[in-house]
Amino acid sequence: MESGIFHTTYESDMALRRTPLMRWRIYLIVAVIVILPFFGNSYTLTLANQIGIVAIGAIGLNILTGFTGQISLGQGGFMAIGAYTSGVLAASLGVPWWLTIPIACVATAVVGTLFGIPSLRLKGLYLAIATLAAQQIIQWAIVRSPLGVDAVVVPPVTIFGTSLNKLRIGPFGGSDFWFYWIIYLFMFLTILFAVNLFRTKVGRAFIAIRDQDIAAEVMGVNLFRYKLLSFATSSFIVGLAGALLGQYRGIVNYERFTIETSIFYLAVIIIGGLGSVSGSVYGAVFMVIIPAILSNLGQAFSSSAPAIARLVPFAQQAVFGLTIILFLVLEPEGLAKIWRDIKDYFRLWPFSY
Amino acid sequence: MSKFVRRVVLLLMALLAISLVACGGGDDGGGDESIKVGAIFDLTGATSDVGTPYSEGVKDFVAWYNDNGGVDGRSLELVSADYAYKVDQAEQLYTQYVNQGIVAFQGWGTGDTEALRTRIATDEIPFMSASYSDVLGNPDEAPYNFLIGTGYAAQAITAVQWGLDNGASKFAIFHHDSPFGTSPVAGATAFAEANGATMAEFPMPGGATDFTAELTQVQDAGIEYILIQNVSSPAATLVKNIKDFGLDVQVVCLNWCTDELFASLAGDAGEGVLGASPFAFPGSGAAGLKEMDDYLQSKGSSLEEKGLRYVAGWLTMKVMTEGIEKVVADGNEVTGPNIKAALESMSNIDTGNITTPLSFSTTDHASNKAVQFFQIEGGKWTAVSDLITVP
Repeated sequence: MESGIFHTTYESDMALRRTPLMRWRIYLIVAVIVILPFFGNSYTLTLANQIGIVAIGAIGLNILTGFTGQISLGQGGFMAIGAYTSGVLAASLGVPWWLTIPIACVATAVVGTLFGIPSLRLKGLYLAIATLAAQQIIQWAIVRSPLGVDAVVVPPVTIFGTSLNKLRIGPFGGSDFWFYWIIYLFMFLTILFAVNLFRTKVGRAFIAIRDQDIAAEVMGVNLFRYKLLSFATSSFIVGLAGALLGQYRGIVNYERFTIETSIFYLAVIIIGGLGSVSGSVYGAVFMVIIPAILSNLGQAFSSSAPAIARLVPFAQQAVFGLTIILFLVLEPEGLAKIWRDIKDYFRLWPFSY
Repeated sequence: MSKFVRRVVLLLMALLAISLVACGGGDDGGGDESIKVGAIFDLTGATSDVGTPYSEGVKDFVAWYNDNGGVDGRSLELVSADYAYKVDQAEQLYTQYVNQGIVAFQGWGTGDTEALRTRIATDEIPFMSASYSDVLGNPDEAPYNFLIGTGYAAQAITAVQWGLDNGASKFAIFHHDSPFGTSPVAGATAFAEANGATMAEFPMPGGATDFTAELTQVQDAGIEYILIQNVSSPAATLVKNIKDFGLDVQVVCLNWCTDELFASLAGDAGEGVLGASPFAFPGSGAAGLKEMDDYLQSKGSSLEEKGLRYVAGWLTMKVMTEGIEKVVADGNEVTGPNIKAALESMSNIDTGNITTPLSFSTTDHASNKAVQFFQIEGGKWTAVSDLITVP
């Protein structure tokens, strides 16, 4: 009878996916991701693409907040840097879209590092206020600059000279379909990077800082260097999410990157699980799908029971709020912990101890 | 063997899940009979105070129109939901409705209108909303957007002209600190300077409750006219500040603070404030308001109760419907590109004096080129001018 997971070789202990079931789960998820766009319409693809972008952004934020313990309310601002850099380069300078994305990532990393400097002296709530300032400063700068008056229209993304809107293979095509592959490719790379990051010296230094910064420094972790490195890594990925969003929607407007965005992403990683890469993805799925489900339920109600249709939008908001509160009360460690508990239950059944 | 069975079961489950996702995404194509129009409204978000009456106007027009026979026997079907002023949800609802076969779309605010601007052009879905940025009237920039309200810059320019006619030469514009707010500033400033006047600019940060510093500058500069490009609640705060400060200036609200809400929030301080409105107020006697009031009376309500935003919603949906009617009358299939072509061929659409007659063309989608001035007297907006064409 199995009573836990025991590794008998170093190889299996160090493996990324340590049990056959974990491997099978990955194959299954990859299979679903690959097959999905061929069955979905543009609505399901829009949802899937939004999930992909939110997941990338949430992983970025989780590296900083969940793994390094540096709270950030500047997520919206950093995403805006990514989106505007990528959008303006493509729109005004004619830089090809695939080149604007890495440039946008680097630009966001630079700005993120800059705003990360106060983190050496500031912790907790104080750092939250400092990053909130970053959000406000970036937003102010965009609104006051010539970019802020009208939205930046990003030229359509092309592959081999054909616009993605027009590129079709059989019945499949359109920008939602092609962007699905681009977004999920980047999401795959981001996940691979993040999961492996925490198997390296740098990643472990981040975790040490989160758990006890003084102890980490005593062990020889250079706090300033690693905190800034965490801000840079995190912003790089957040910039990627912003750039993808700008290129995907074809228009960059500041209203997408307000303080509400920052709070939304914090909610994603708290619900998904702080300090968990897969949790960021679960959180993204949850936070995008639940409002969509509630909205669909609401629309179904409004035609069958018009009398209560008036209340539906308000009920929607209340249910969403209630779900989040219940989550925080019942499982503060998020969806990642729930998933772990389910696995443990079956693994150790019937004698859990 | 058992491992093999497990794999097969997993595979089957995966296929089941996929087919569920594929089927759950909404049915394609509407019936041949009804014509589907999509809409998003803000009923619970940041702008729900004005979004709710606007949404009622749109919905009631569709109900009234269908009661009166619809388009050549075909009814209009409005598919709509609340999006709480969230851009992501606006995008979700929009693509969902496009999959359900809508031929045109009613948006709401600046955020969603801007976010969907390029998307509606590729999907070829004509789009109207309550965002009146001047850029949306330019078909080169926004080929599928159609403007029913007068553009923000056009409103501001008319307000400056009104001031010039009344002997003023020093103007200031207080605006919401966002693209919505800054949109009329450049145009109005250029117009004022071309006419030998000056224009000062003051952004109003969100949540600000005290404008004493700005008003001191206004006083020192001897400014005579203040234009406000903001929504009712902050505009009312500013007007109260002006009264407390004892400043003798003429305040002109552009369309988003010219409404009943502003009049009630501003109270005494609002007396004498001018409003530049693209639409006629309920009770102003415009002939086009009668059908709305009659419909509401039959439902036990009244247009006075619903207010100006209701008028805007009703009229916007009505103009869109007239485009659809023309497509049907010309014997064409009701599609987005055909509606666009029909609208572009329409000029001097009569709105019963709610607005000036509206004209679209292939080079200009800003159909409304006039505003009417109203003034608060005894807590009520009263017309003080006829429709004035934008200079």
